[in-house]
Amino acid sequence: MAPRLNPLTTLTAAAAVLVITTAAASWVVSLTVAAGAVLLAGVTGAARRVFLAAGVILAPFWLSLLVMHGLFFPEGRSVLASWGPARVTTEGLGFAVDMGLRTSAFVLVLLLFSFSVRVPELVAALATLRLPPQFGYVLASTLMLAPIIAARLEKVRQAQESRGLVVGKGVGNRLGAVRLQMVPLVLGLVHDAGIRAQALDARGFRRTGPRTTYTQVRDSPAQRGFRIVAVLLAAAAVAVRIAASLSRGQA
Amino acid sequence: MNGQVSAAVTLRAAIESFAFHGDARPALRDVEIVAAPGSLIAVLGGSGSGKSTLGRLLGGWLAGGRDGKLKGRLELESVGQQEAWRPLVFFGADSDPQIDPAAWAEQVGYVPQDPAAMLSAVRATVEEELAFGLENRGMERAEMVRIVAETARRTGLASLLERDPATLSGGELRRLAVGCAIVADPAVLILDEPLASLDADGTRTLTELVAAELARGTAVVVLSQSADLLTRLAEPWLVLEDGAATAAGPPDRILAGEELASSGVVVSEPSGAPSGQVQQFAQAQSRARPAKDSVPALELDRVSFGFGTEYLGRPLLLENVVLDVWPGEIVAVTGPNGAGKSTLLRLFNGLLSPLRGEVRIGGEAIAGVPTGVIAQRLGLLFQHPHDQLFERTVLREVFFGLDRRFGASAPVRAAEALASVGLSAAGNVHPHELSGSGQRLLALATVLAREPEVLALDEPTVALDAHGLRRLSDAMTAAAGRGAAVVLVTHDLAFARAHAHRLVELRNGVLAAGD
Amino acid sequence: MSQPSLTLPTPGQQAGRNRRLLEILGAAAIAATFIYLVLTQPADIAGGLGSVSALVAMGGFLLGAVLLIVGVLPTLPTSTVVLIPVALVLNIVLGQLMGTSGLPFYLDSIGTVLIAVLAGPAAGAATGALSSIVWSLINPTVLPFAAGAALIGFLAGTAARYGLFRRFYFAPVAGFLTGIVAGVVSAPIAAFVFGGTSGAGTGAIVSAFRAMGDTLLAAITKQALISDPMDKAIVFTIAAVLVYALPRRTTLQFPFVRRYHVLAGKEPAKRNA
Repeated sequence: MAPRLNPLTTLTAAAAVLVITTAAASWVVSLTVAAGAVLLAGVTGAARRVFLAAGVILAPFWLSLLVMHGLFFPEGRSVLASWGPARVTTEGLGFAVDMGLRTSAFVLVLLLFSFSVRVPELVAALATLRLPPQFGYVLASTLMLAPIIAARLEKVRQAQESRGLVVGKGVGNRLGAVRLQMVPLVLGLVHDAGIRAQALDARGFRRTGPRTTYTQVRDSPAQRGFRIVAVLLAAAAVAVRIAASLSRGQA
Repeated sequence: MNGQVSAAVTLRAAIESFAFHGDARPALRDVEIVAAPGSLIAVLGGSGSGKSTLGRLLGGWLAGGRDGKLKGRLELESVGQQEAWRPLVFFGADSDPQIDPAAWAEQVGYVPQDPAAMLSAVRATVEEELAFGLENRGMERAEMVRIVAETARRTGLASLLERDPATLSGGELRRLAVGCAIVADPAVLILDEPLASLDADGTRTLTELVAAELARGTAVVVLSQSADLLTRLAEPWLVLEDGAATAAGPPDRILAGEELASSGVVVSEPSGAPSGQVQQFAQAQSRARPAKDSVPALELDRVSFGFGTEYLGRPLLLENVVLDVWPGEIVAVTGPNGAGKSTLLRLFNGLLSPLRGEVRIGGEAIAGVPTGVIAQRLGLLFQHPHDQLFERTVLREVFFGLDRRFGASAPVRAAEALASVGLSAAGNVHPHELSGSGQRLLALATVLAREPEVLALDEPTVALDAHGLRRLSDAMTAAAGRGAAVVLVTHDLAFARAHAHRLVELRNGVLAAGD
Repeated sequence: MSQPSLTLPTPGQQAGRNRRLLEILGAAAIAATFIYLVLTQPADIAGGLGSVSALVAMGGFLLGAVLLIVGVLPTLPTSTVVLIPVALVLNIVLGQLMGTSGLPFYLDSIGTVLIAVLAGPAAGAATGALSSIVWSLINPTVLPFAAGAALIGFLAGTAARYGLFRRFYFAPVAGFLTGIVAGVVSAPIAAFVFGGTSGAGTGAIVSAFRAMGDTLLAAITKQALISDPMDKAIVFTIAAVLVYALPRRTTLQFPFVRRYHVLAGKEPAKRNA
């Protein structure tokens, strides 16, 4: 990706694809979208992180779906096999595959977006949408806080072990250790937040007037046009789906 | 935003009293201060004297009503303005004026003790961080670029504009924090402990920065717990103790008086060495070296360590380090920043394991023993007390886990440990509401209560005021007196010379006997 | 050169009313979506994917959550806004850990409840909604649950407002009741958008109810009624422990805590340091 796209463009594209996929409600479309996301991830070089995160989320989800609907689907008619109360039905398996593919597409597309976007650019772009500035702050701060908090938890653990707080084996001991570590962690974070709030106020965070951004985010008429088309396509997909379901009665 | 000179504004404050919500006692009472253009004023006081509270009130960071009950008067007086600001008078009532922190900060900038607290922490580069306040004002981008460049020049950050603020050194971070305040070009600048934990280089650049601001006509107020190089340039001095001003006037008169010593301010000679400790140095040297028992309390036997040495081929941080510390001996480890002093301490109790060599406590190797178990014999105290305190009261904090080890004698031990650091009266206070000095001493007490054979302290003097330093030195002497070995890692050479039987220097990965 | 004012103007009425409107619209969108989903539910599962329900569930709940955020966020004091990221990290880290543990609990709302207790129902609701939206950047499956998360924050704040955090034993009770409501509201999302639940532990419970012949929504609702009240009772208890561990100077900084006397304790506390 030589010239970077505006984060709003990629966000709109991701959202439109998801709406269209949901409206289409067909495993073929879901599979195509998921495959497309995988392909794009490969091209942009985010593949490793996207697959890793998607695997962690989707593996238990698929397992849960297959057990749930593969074995127990009371609405199913064509029974393939049965053991006591458990019945494997074509309908159940089909439902599991439909839902699984749709969720896979959903997860892959959004992960591709979040792993390819640069957070400061996204925050700057969101600021132009006239969303409250607090929203951009919360988004950026959360993503930047995570590694800081992890490092801090490690420091708390080291300091406490050095003080002689031994982590025992039993569940009670573990829970006790979690309490001992959580309290200084949360206390420290809340304390820091209190001071940071005063600093932000002094730096004009609560001013109500218009704001500008120092970070420049690339945009172009072509990208603006694309965003409008994407939103229209998504709206059309929803409209078609609703019309279809109305004509079929209730579904 | 007026080119070379800031607008001539005088800040006059008369704080009758300020009490935080839930506190019966006011944190500040009867403090008056006048900051005139181009003048440097120092507010001196020990830990918990109310310096930071005063600084925050003056800078509009603490607000009457929201944070506590404020009675008094804040006034900005400007020369050459058609329409004067009206003084803000506070009665501690709901109808009091509410300061607009952003508008106030354009006149009075406050830089906190912890420079990281000044940052928005949502900006990826130094220049974006500097621009944060300008963005909130809705300034045109071209104007922002100009002011950011100008501020970077004033604070010496010009070559660091593209850096991630998280990667800056302590001195650079503090200059960035000052930059975030002066980007609005305030006429009054309040600096809270601006030299705290800066090395010689950082001290020099920050002192130059203050001098340049004074030359622009900015009024500068420095809050500090030590009469150091920067505060010695100031006049007048104001001494705070227990929230009240106990002395005010020219430095010479105050140095001659009693109030400074009583307030807990650390007084260093103009050369940099704390005066109170010079005599103690001789005293420490004259103490006999402890008789050598058969086994050292702590033994490092040709220990080597490096981060990522094994797999990434990075160089060793410590190489064949040999150190024997005998019972009753106090050893100070000194060395430049980044030499691996803190890493060395973490090897003592198994938080890190040596790549080669062996660590022994009382003759027994510690390899494979969990840190929490080693802690019964070796108490290690880190720099940040916040990380290890977790109880609701000071007494509970010291008492924690003692009963399991000492049974019926636990309450006595807890009380003794608190008494040894001078916190007996604070037993029911929340640890986080203690002063910075108090928190460090409390963390020390939790370790002392367990009477470890070895006491290892990481930069114990940082954030301690004069009272705290005395208590620390008493506690170290007492521990050595009952036969414990004490190892402290410090950049404070004067303190190390005054209290240690022996100095060792860590430089380029090896330990050498220091002077 | 005119002098800028150094004090804050009294807040304008019009702006406040617009924000209020957004909050009400947000709540209405969530309520309407829920009612629609419950009413159309029977026809759905037989019709296969139920894609209209999925669209309505996602669209309606997400719209409601976003309206709530836009309405509430600008009214919050900065001290609350800076605490929200801390709460979100707590939610996300604990939620992610529990999700992979196989236990039928979530523990993904400790931060939300913490904010709700300190800063009130509106702040709690905004935190809950934000939590889902930000978390979705690394785990997109939580996005549709934004409305449920907002509801938990709102209910926790309401419980704090009426003094349920003043007594330690009331906190788990309040959590239990919140869990019942939250479970019922979140179940349609799990059913229509994902066709099940994402955790292995919760999946097993749903399967058990399905084996007894329940419809998918009924099975998931029953599962939620088993997991959620217990989960929220635990979460409320942990939040109470954390809030009481904070120094009073910190908790009393929050006007909500001062005004409604949210936490037990003498006022002002006697200190002799």
